[in-house]
Amino acid sequence: MAVIRVAGVRKRFGGIVVAEDISLEIAPGEILGLIGPNGAGKTTLFNLISGIHAPDGGEIWLRDRPLSGLSVVRRARLGIARTWQHIRLFPTLTVLENLLMGPRHYPGEALFGGLFQPGARRALAAQSRARAESILARIGMPDASHKLPGELPFGQQKLVGLARTLMNDGEVLLLDEPMAGVPAGESAEILDTLGALPGDVAVLLIEHDMDLVFRFATRITVLVDGAVLVEGTRDAVARDPAVKAAYLGEAAHG
Amino acid sequence: MEYVYSILVLVGLYTILASSFNLIIGFGGLISIAHPIFFALSAYVSALANLHLGVPIPLAILLGTLFAAVMSVALSLPSLRVSGDYLLIASIGFQLGFVEVIKNVEIAGAASGLTGIASMYSGEHRSLAFACTTLGIAAVVVWAVHRLTHGEYGRAIQAMRDDEECFASLGRSAMAIKITLFAVGSGLAGLAGALYAHYFQYLSPEQFGIIQSSLILTMVVVGGMGTTLGPVLGALLLIALPQAITFLNLPPSVMAPLQGMLYTGLVLVFLFVRPAGLAGKPIRQ
Repeated sequence: MAVIRVAGVRKRFGGIVVAEDISLEIAPGEILGLIGPNGAGKTTLFNLISGIHAPDGGEIWLRDRPLSGLSVVRRARLGIARTWQHIRLFPTLTVLENLLMGPRHYPGEALFGGLFQPGARRALAAQSRARAESILARIGMPDASHKLPGELPFGQQKLVGLARTLMNDGEVLLLDEPMAGVPAGESAEILDTLGALPGDVAVLLIEHDMDLVFRFATRITVLVDGAVLVEGTRDAVARDPAVKAAYLGEAAHG
Repeated sequence: MEYVYSILVLVGLYTILASSFNLIIGFGGLISIAHPIFFALSAYVSALANLHLGVPIPLAILLGTLFAAVMSVALSLPSLRVSGDYLLIASIGFQLGFVEVIKNVEIAGAASGLTGIASMYSGEHRSLAFACTTLGIAAVVVWAVHRLTHGEYGRAIQAMRDDEECFASLGRSAMAIKITLFAVGSGLAGLAGALYAHYFQYLSPEQFGIIQSSLILTMVVVGGMGTTLGPVLGALLLIALPQAITFLNLPPSVMAPLQGMLYTGLVLVFLFVRPAGLAGKPIRQ
């Protein structure tokens, strides 16, 4: 059964159609690459899934649960985690604290937990902390815990953003251009992290770097002008003449 | 000594007021000036509950405190939908309107004020007992505000202020935090109000006007917004200062405007010279 199912979703902003009858499904363990030229509606689709925008029509399902009417907060709690094109780490929190904002369950953040911190909550907080530290070690940043995001190179900031969503432990990961703007010298850890995503998570990956998409995605959906142009396996998409004309050709020329 | 005790009572009450206001404005980033409303609501509710219903004073104080917290939730549901400048404007409206309403409520003594409120303590050590009570409660309030703003809850508050949309996308409700901070802050203002009522035994609408807003705001700004000790220093300084100038023996017609000018002057000086306030750099900024 698909973890996330987008069925006939439509959205327009004024006169501009940003999503035209989009349908797609992602199974557990699958990475669906979402490609398309700028303005094709890729990030808008993320915003529709994560609940920032409400669709004008159609429905989005998380397993057998329709998401209509659920807020961004509720959807995140159900296990839909996302990264942002522009990272959006909390600038005044340290790297470790940013990661600790990731988990969906955070009893210490309740009012009375904040005041009294009973033992059970302290244990949970310690668990989260140990988990965050192990993730930081895995992504090669064991010493960055107490740094502020602004002190890190851009590639590491992206990595921390990615790590924060991994702390969510959700079923769905929406990755918005994890490699955009990252200099070649800082990309290795991000590639390693993408290669080692949890096996049961459904991933939707937006990326302009075609090599990266073709390397990680199990299937690819091509969006153009808010509509699905082609959807299929890597090979099928790479061979499709319409894709070549609309997107890959354009990229080759650009 | 009586005089010193009465000053200590004021220091305790204003420490509670300034610390709770700091929770809302300094830590929560919610720019509202309507703090005196909750100070007043609880003062009146506690006084009236004791006066007309015979509720014992400690229970009446608790009742007033809870009433202020509950009313703040009712007020914050519509108000917190707007933020920044609009919240400030809405709070000015509430603040000005509230005083006018009180002036017309007969049971609350209307414009001439409510008299005959029972005192919490009696006997010759009344003021000393009051000073100990208010300073003790103030210490607990300062501790609680510190705990709230420096643990995991504080981390969430800070993240919410950094980026609300991202905060929501991590499954955290900014609205829940704002309403909680507003309710806790307002409830604590209420606690100060109820203590105030049973100490001074007289309430009038003028005591809770916008001048009161500016006094509490000055304490927070001068002491250091978003710091734990700032409001304590602010309260100490701004209670001590007017007492100091009373020794100048100036006529009342000069004293009142002089105090107002001192508050305004202090805020201006601090905004230019030391914007982070006496307690220094906000800890987490």
